[in-house]
Amino acid sequence: MQPDLDQPGSLARVLRELPAAGAPPYPFAEFQRRARERTRPSRSLAGGRWLAAAAVGALAVVALSLRLHPHASVREPPLGDTAPLARAASPAPHAEIMERWLASLPREPGVVHVGTHQAVTGLEDRIAQVDDLLSAAGTQRQPPPQFVALQQERTRLIGALVQVRYAETLADESR
Amino acid sequence: MKPNRLTVSWPVLLAFGALLASAPALRLAADTPAAVPDAARTDSSGDAEAQLAAARRQLEQAAHEVARLSEQISGELIDQMMPLVETGHAIIGVQLDPAAGPSGARVREVSPGGPAAEAGIHAGDVIVAVNGQPVTGTAPARQVVKIMRDVKPDSRVTVRVLRDGKPREFVVTARAGPEFFAALHGMPELGSLAQLHGDFMFHRPLGELELVTLSPRLGSYFGSDKGVLVVRAGSEGPLKLEDGDVILAIDGREPTSGSHATRILGSYQPGEKVSLRILRQHKTLDLESVLPERADHTGMMQRDGPLPEPASPHRTVIFGNGDI
Repeated sequence: MQPDLDQPGSLARVLRELPAAGAPPYPFAEFQRRARERTRPSRSLAGGRWLAAAAVGALAVVALSLRLHPHASVREPPLGDTAPLARAASPAPHAEIMERWLASLPREPGVVHVGTHQAVTGLEDRIAQVDDLLSAAGTQRQPPPQFVALQQERTRLIGALVQVRYAETLADESR
Repeated sequence: MKPNRLTVSWPVLLAFGALLASAPALRLAADTPAAVPDAARTDSSGDAEAQLAAARRQLEQAAHEVARLSEQISGELIDQMMPLVETGHAIIGVQLDPAAGPSGARVREVSPGGPAAEAGIHAGDVIVAVNGQPVTGTAPARQVVKIMRDVKPDSRVTVRVLRDGKPREFVVTARAGPEFFAALHGMPELGSLAQLHGDFMFHRPLGELELVTLSPRLGSYFGSDKGVLVVRAGSEGPLKLEDGDVILAIDGREPTSGSHATRILGSYQPGEKVSLRILRQHKTLDLESVLPERADHTGMMQRDGPLPEPASPHRTVIFGNGDI
């Protein structure tokens, strides 16, 4: 029940009974900063920008390493080595992890940005071509000497596809 | 000497690992008001969006660079092997185990995003028949390769497999293989397969185009049960598409998804004519365009010779204005 404020002295008494004012949770400068924050673009936008910048940096490193060492992964085995085909038959463990990650992704982003997706489809097609070539080469009586190198090249292409799809995912998220 | 595969892999994996590790931290930092740098606090919304758009462009360019260089390197190796191995004109995107199996050809690897993967074939499946022809015998993988030599790109291939001992059947739409691609585009004039991809595949000035695969409900809204929706045509797009168009066919080929449309468009070279059948505001239109000169990595136009006459670098002719 509310006290009768019309009674003489009631208002003063009620005011006296109020608890002491607490300290403000933050100073006015912080209030202004938070107000600015609310009017800025969404945090997801800012997050997407930082993520995109980080991805650009990482992909630039990758592109640079590819430029500097374009053939490091495709050296041919020496003649007379009989083990390479057996080694090639079992893909590297990290390649399996990458392929599992790729398989877990949706077939394509909800909105396909053609500019980015061309890089994905180009790599996918190249991997399919390599697989086709490896199938045909493997059935020959004497597989070509480049067989193992091509198998290793496939692993590297899978790595590149993982990077490009990750970049595509980030770019898609930041839109 | 043992092949040194890790020379390239370590920097790649380190960079990628660093990116993966930094992503949650960056996200957390972005969500914490105190972590926002002072300079960023004063950014206006427009500035942030412009920076985001620029970062996205850089991301796209870096991804293209990784893909382009990777394709170029693998193309050199494929060029070396092509004369030594007989392949077909079409591929289904599997790598077969050359060892003879008791019941068929074992799929060792499935190409990510390839036709077989899209159809649902898994690594470990054992192919027992292709287009009704059984492949059991002493060299089943060789039989599959031989059958595939007669398959044409875009044709449907019926693949019967054993999975965990149980028979299953898949219909796979074959894609053009490297041999077909080289023959189609006159490889001697264009150079090696490495160059073919490096120079043409990623320089399309279609970067702003955004597509969505039509779902049945979306399709009913736009008046089509097939095709790909253009959600963003981009400014000055060479194909003269508009937001809201539905691409029904590209030179007679019906795109079934955004990826499929990207693949079809990616197969054109600068200067080639592209014919599109589209649906615009429930009306069917045929558009004809010529792809302009290729753009460089930054999306700027790049010309090998002197500038042509001031006429538009591409032309678009719209003919037909009714339902078909």
